Amino acid sequence: MSSYFDLTSELWKWASPVWLLVLSLTLIFFIVQRGALSRRGLYFVVAMFALAMAYVSPIGVLSDGYLFSAHVIQHLLLLLIVPLFLLLSLSKSATEAIFSHPFMNRMGHVLAVPFLGWLSGLGVMWFWHIPSFCNASTESYSLGIFRDATFLLAGLVFWWPIFSPVKRFHLPSPLAMIYLFSACLGCTLLGIYITFTVISICPAFANPVDRLGIMHLLYDQGMTPALDQRLGGLLMWVPPCSLYVCAIMVVLRRWYSDMGQLTPQSTGATNALREARS
Amino acid sequence: MNSVIPVLDPASPQAESINNLFMQVLVISAIIFTIVSGLILVAIYRGRRKHTLPEQDFGSEKAEIAWMVGPVIIVIWLVAISAHLVITLNAYPPDTHDGNTNHSEIDLIVTGHQWWWEVEYPDSGVISANEIYIPVGKKLRVQISSADVIHSFWVAQLGQKIDAIPGRENYIWLEASKPGSYQGRCSEYCGAQHAWMNFKVYAVSQPEYEQWIASEKKDTSQPKLLTPLEAAGKQFFMQATCQQCHTVAGTTAKARIGPDLTHFARRKEIGAGVIENSPENLAVWLKDPQALKPGCKMPNFKLNDEHLKQLVAYLETLK
Amino acid sequence: MTTGSINQSELTSLDTPVTSTVMLDWVSTLDHKRIGIMYILTAVFYLAIGGFEALLMRIQLAYPNNTFLSPEMFNQLFTMHGTTMVFLVGMPVLTGFANYFVPLMIGARDVAFPRLNAFGFWMLFFGALLLHYSFLTGSAPNAGWFSYVPLSTKAYSSLQGVDYWIIGLLIMGIGSVSGAINIFATIICMRAPGMSLQRVPLFVWMMLMQVILIILALPALNSALSMLLLDRWLGSAFFDPTRGGSAVLWQHYFWIFGHPEVYILILPGFGMISEIIPVFSRKPIYGYTFVAGSSVAIVLLGYGVWAHHMFAVGLGMYADIFFAVGSLLIAIPTGIKVFNWTATLWGGELRFNTALHFAVGFLLQFVIGGLTGIMFAAVPIDWQLTDTYFVVAHFHYVLIGGLVFSLFAAAYYWFPKMTGRMLSERWGIFQFWLWVLGFNMTFMVQHFLGLMGMPRRVYTYADNPGWALLNGVASIGAIFMALGTLVFLWNIWISLRKGKIAGDNPWDAFTLEWATTSPPPPENFNTLPEIKSRRPVWDKNHPEFADWKTAQTPPDNGKRFNLPKLAAWAFIASEAVFFLLLLIAFVVFNTRHRGGEVTSSVLDAERTGIFSLFLISSSVTFWLAERFLQAGKRSMFIFYLGITILFGTIFLAGQVWEYAGLLSDNVTINTDLFSATFFTITGFHGIHVTAGVIALLIMLIMGVKGNLTSKKSHVFGAVGIYWHFVDIVWLAVFGIIYLGLLQ
Repeated sequence: MSSYFDLTSELWKWASPVWLLVLSLTLIFFIVQRGALSRRGLYFVVAMFALAMAYVSPIGVLSDGYLFSAHVIQHLLLLLIVPLFLLLSLSKSATEAIFSHPFMNRMGHVLAVPFLGWLSGLGVMWFWHIPSFCNASTESYSLGIFRDATFLLAGLVFWWPIFSPVKRFHLPSPLAMIYLFSACLGCTLLGIYITFTVISICPAFANPVDRLGIMHLLYDQGMTPALDQRLGGLLMWVPPCSLYVCAIMVVLRRWYSDMGQLTPQSTGATNALREARS
Repeated sequence: MNSVIPVLDPASPQAESINNLFMQVLVISAIIFTIVSGLILVAIYRGRRKHTLPEQDFGSEKAEIAWMVGPVIIVIWLVAISAHLVITLNAYPPDTHDGNTNHSEIDLIVTGHQWWWEVEYPDSGVISANEIYIPVGKKLRVQISSADVIHSFWVAQLGQKIDAIPGRENYIWLEASKPGSYQGRCSEYCGAQHAWMNFKVYAVSQPEYEQWIASEKKDTSQPKLLTPLEAAGKQFFMQATCQQCHTVAGTTAKARIGPDLTHFARRKEIGAGVIENSPENLAVWLKDPQALKPGCKMPNFKLNDEHLKQLVAYLETLK
Repeated sequence: MTTGSINQSELTSLDTPVTSTVMLDWVSTLDHKRIGIMYILTAVFYLAIGGFEALLMRIQLAYPNNTFLSPEMFNQLFTMHGTTMVFLVGMPVLTGFANYFVPLMIGARDVAFPRLNAFGFWMLFFGALLLHYSFLTGSAPNAGWFSYVPLSTKAYSSLQGVDYWIIGLLIMGIGSVSGAINIFATIICMRAPGMSLQRVPLFVWMMLMQVILIILALPALNSALSMLLLDRWLGSAFFDPTRGGSAVLWQHYFWIFGHPEVYILILPGFGMISEIIPVFSRKPIYGYTFVAGSSVAIVLLGYGVWAHHMFAVGLGMYADIFFAVGSLLIAIPTGIKVFNWTATLWGGELRFNTALHFAVGFLLQFVIGGLTGIMFAAVPIDWQLTDTYFVVAHFHYVLIGGLVFSLFAAAYYWFPKMTGRMLSERWGIFQFWLWVLGFNMTFMVQHFLGLMGMPRRVYTYADNPGWALLNGVASIGAIFMALGTLVFLWNIWISLRKGKIAGDNPWDAFTLEWATTSPPPPENFNTLPEIKSRRPVWDKNHPEFADWKTAQTPPDNGKRFNLPKLAAWAFIASEAVFFLLLLIAFVVFNTRHRGGEVTSSVLDAERTGIFSLFLISSSVTFWLAERFLQAGKRSMFIFYLGITILFGTIFLAGQVWEYAGLLSDNVTINTDLFSATFFTITGFHGIHVTAGVIALLIMLIMGVKGNLTSKKSHVFGAVGIYWHFVDIVWLAVFGIIYLGLLQ
C-alpha cells in the first residue's frame, strides 16, 4: 500500500474547493465557541481534517477515477468519520436550546427513529455502489458533489440516534447495540459482495483514464483493477465494522454507568414486577 | 539427511523470514506468559497467607486502560510485521487485464492426488511423481492444484504450505538456499492414506538439475535391449491392467490416473514414502499394495510369483 | 409482567418420587434443574466415549508404523472424537449448567419455555444416538469434524457415515437453537425484580453472549449441511468442482459457524471462572464491566474472523491481512479478561481448594493456548504450523486446558448446590494433579511434534528421529487424564453417599443460587433477598460491607420484554442467517458462471410476480387481523385471518405450479448450479410458508373457538413476526433470483 504515498506531489490537490466548506464551517464553529478550546474543539478539528483529507490528499485524487479502494476510503471518511466527529463537537447546551423548540424537537425525534438512520447509513453505501450509479457519479463532477453531500447527510442521520448531543434522542443502549451490529452486518454483506464478485462494481475504475500520467506508477507496484476492487471491498467491510464495534463499546460503557434516577414510574414498574411474582 | 525440527531449521529465505517472525512472537509470548504466571503465583503465595477479609475492590478503569496499552502495541506490531511478510511472500502471478492468469510465469505445476503428488515442469514437459528436483538458489513459482479432494503442499524447511484445491490454482515460491533433500508432506486430511502422501524436494546445483531434466526427457520410445524376463514383464504390463492407470512414455501405457512410471526405477521411494525403492521392496509392494498402504487406489492384483518377477524386472529397466 | 410458566402444584407433582415411576418422572420432566442434570449426564457419558476414542488413537500413535487400528478405523475415530467432544460434550454440558443455574442466578422460578427446553434436550439425545448408530452400520463418519468437501461428497465418501453425520448434526442443531432461544428469553424476561441486566452474574452474562452466538452462528452450519445433503442425495453440485461447484464455499460456511463455535465453548468457561475466582478470593470480580464488555467485543469480532482457519487456502494477500487484523484484535479483549482474573486474585484472601486449583490451572493453561493462538493469527506462522500437531496442541490447550479445567472448577463449586453434599477435597486435589500432569504431558509435547513436521490426522508415521519418543510421552499422558477422570467419578460416587452436608451456602458465595436450599426446591426459592447490587447474597450476609453502599450499579427499570415476541425475534434472527447464507450461495454461483449453462431463462418472473403480490398482501391482511384482535372485534379478526391464510395458500399453489412446469421441462435440482440454488432457496422458503400457514390455521381454530382474545394478542403477534419475516425473505428471493439484482 506504500504505492499510494510514494508517488509525486501530483497526488496532492491543494487547490480544492473543499477548503471553502472547511473554512466557513471552522469560522462558524469558532464564532459560536467564542474561541474557547475544549475536547469538542479537538473533535471538530478531527472532523475538518478528515473532510479536507478526503479531497486534498491522495485519497481524493486517486478516488477520482484511479483507484476504487481510494474511492471507498473517501466514502468512509465522508459517511462515518466526518459526521461522527461533527456530532461529537456540537455543544450540548446549544443543541439542547435549538431542539427545545417544539418543531425542532419533533424533527429531532424523527431523526432518532432507528430505522431511518440505519436505512440512510447503509442505503447510501449500497445505492452508490450499484454499478451504473457508481460509474455515473465518478464520471460526472456535479453528480459526484451531490453524492458526497448525500454521504455527509446520511452520516449525520446515521449517527444521530447514537451520538446526538441531546440525550433524549439517544436509542436505548441495548437497541443501539443491535442498531450498530446490524449496520456492521450490512457493511459486511456489501464488502463481501464487492470483494468476491467477478463483476466490476465501478467500470470507471476498471479502465481508468490516466489524466495525470500516474497509472504506470500504480501498476508497477502490482496493483491491478481486480486487486483494487478486492481491496476496496475489504476496506468497505473491516474498517467500518471496527468503528461500529468501538461505538458499541462506547454505548456499552454508557449503559453500564447509567445509574438513571429511578423515576416514580419505573419504581412502580419494579414493584408491579415484584407483586406479579409473589 | 532430513532435519529433526524442520520448522526451526529453515533452508530458504522464505522459511528464514517465517522462522524469524515465529521467534519474535515466541519471545513476546514467553515474556507475556512469564509476567502473567508470575503475577498469578505471587498473588497465590500472598493470598494463601492472608486471613482477613480483603478490601472489596471493584476495579479501576484507569488500571484497565493502562493494562490495555501493552497488548495494543503488541497487536499493532504483529499486524505490521506479519502483513509485511504476507505481501513479500505473495506468489500470485500478476493478473492480466482480462483477469486471466499469465501462464508463462509458472515454473512448476504440482497436482495432488489421493495419495500421491504429480509434478510437471511446463518448460520441459517433464512429468514425475513425489520427487521434485529444483536448482539451488533459484526462486520457482509453483502452481498447486488438486485432481480430487483438498490436499496441502508443505515442505517445512522451505517455507509456507498451501492447499491443493480442485478447481482452483494456488501459487507459492519454492526455493532452497543449500543443496539437500527436503521432506514434504500432505498437510490437509484427504482420506484413508493421508498419512502416506509424502514427497521430497531435492535441491541440486544448476548443472545437476539440467542433467536431471535431460535424463527425464530422455527418449524411452526406442526399445532397449530387454532380457526375456524383462520383455515378458513389459508384455504383462501392457496386457494386464497396469497400463489403465499408468504412463510409460513411448509405450501404449498412457493413462494418468496413477503416477507416471517412465523413470520409475530412478525414484527413491515407493507409494509416496511408504518404503524405499528397491527391487525387493517393489516386489513386496506389487504383491499386495493394500498391505503396505491400506485403502490406496492400487488394488491387490494377486499376481503369481512369476508375473511378479517379470514385472519387477521390467520396472527396474525404467531408468 | 410475566410469571413462572408452571404453577406450583404441577411442579410438586412432578417431584413426588414413586420408585417405579422415577424414570418416567425424569423422562417427562419439565423442571429446568432436572433437564440441566440430564444434559450434564449426557455430556459425561459422551465424554467417556470421546475420551475412549482418544485413548484408542493415542495407542495407535504410541509408536511408529503401528497397526493397532486400520487407517479407516483411525479416520472414523478422530472424526467422531472431534464431533463428539464439540457437539455432544462441550455444548450439552454448558447448556446443562446454564439450564440449572441461569434461572437460579437471576432469581427465576423456571426457564421461559420449559417444554421447548425439554424438546431441545431430546433432540440432542436422539441426534446423538443417530450419530452413534452409524458405528453399527460399519461406517461411522470419517471426513473429519469439519468434513471438508469434496472429500465428504458422495464421490469420495460413498458410505453412509457422512449422511449420519449431517442428519445427526442437523437434529442436534435444531435442539441447540431451541435451547439457546429458551436461555436467551429466560435471561431477558425472567429476571427477578431489582436484577437489571447490568447486575446479572457474569456467568449469566457470558451465557447470554453464548446463546446469541448459537442463535446467529448455527444456521450457517445448517445451511452448509443442507447443501451437502442435497449434493449427496439429490445430486446437486454445490460442492462439486467438476460441475462448477466450489470446494472453498463449504469452508467459509463451516468456519462462519466454526469460529463462533470456539467462543460458544469457551465463553461459558470464562463465566464460570469469573464466578469462582472472586468467591474463593473473597472479593468481587475486578472490573465487572470490562469482563462483561470484553465478551461483547469477543462476540462481535468472533463473527468476522472465520477465515483465519483458511489462511492456507490461498484467499489472496489482502484477505489474509484483514483477517489477521481481526484475529489479532481478539487478543485485546481476551487479555483484558486475563488481567481482571489476575487482579481479582491479587490481594484476595485465597481459599485454595480444588475449585480454585482448577481455576488457576485454567488461567495458566488458557494463557498458553491464547498465546499460541496469537501465533496462528500471524499469517506466515499459520502457513507453517496449521494442520500440524502444533495446532492440535493449541486448541487442546484452549478446550481442555481452558474449558475442561473450568468445568471441573465449576463442578467442585456447584456440586454442593446440586446435591446438598460436598465433594471430597482430598480426592479433588489428587484428581487435579493427575489432570495437570496428564494434560501437559500429552499436549505440551505436541507443540514440538508440530515443529518437527508431524501433520495432524495421520494414522501412523515413519520412524523419524524423536517422533516415537514424543508420541510415546503424549500417549502415556493420556492415561493420567483417564485416571484423573476415574478419580473424579469415584469422588462423585462416594461424596453422594458420605460427603459432608453442604448447607445453603458453604462457600460464603455471592449470587442468588446460594440463597436457596441445597438442592433447591422445585420452585427454586421460598424468598428472595433484595437485589440492590451484583452480589445480593453477599449484601445479605455482610450488610456492613454491602456492595450497594460503595459501588452503585444501574438499577432495574422493572420492564421486561414480551416473552413470545422475544422468542419469535430470536427465531427469525436465526432463520435470517440461514436464508442469507443460501442467498449468498446463489449470488456466488450465479455471477461466477455468467453466460454458462444457466436455466434462469426458464423462470417466468411475471407470473411469479403476481403470486408474490398475494404473499405480500397477506402481510397487510395479517396486520389488519392483528389490529382487529387487539380491538376485540372477533369476526373481523377471523375474516382477515382467513384472507391471510387464503393468500398464503394461493402463493404456495403458484409455487407448486411453477415447480411442476420446471420438472416437466426436465429442470431439476441436479441440472446445474442455477437450478440447485433455485430449488434449495425456494424450497426452504416454501417449507417456511407452509409452516406459517399451519401456524395461522391453528390461530384461526383458536380464534373461532374463542380461545384467542385480545389479551393473548401477543402470541398472535409472535406468529405475525414470523409471517412478516417469511414475506420479507421472499422479497429478497424474488429480487435476487427472479429479477437478477446483484448479477
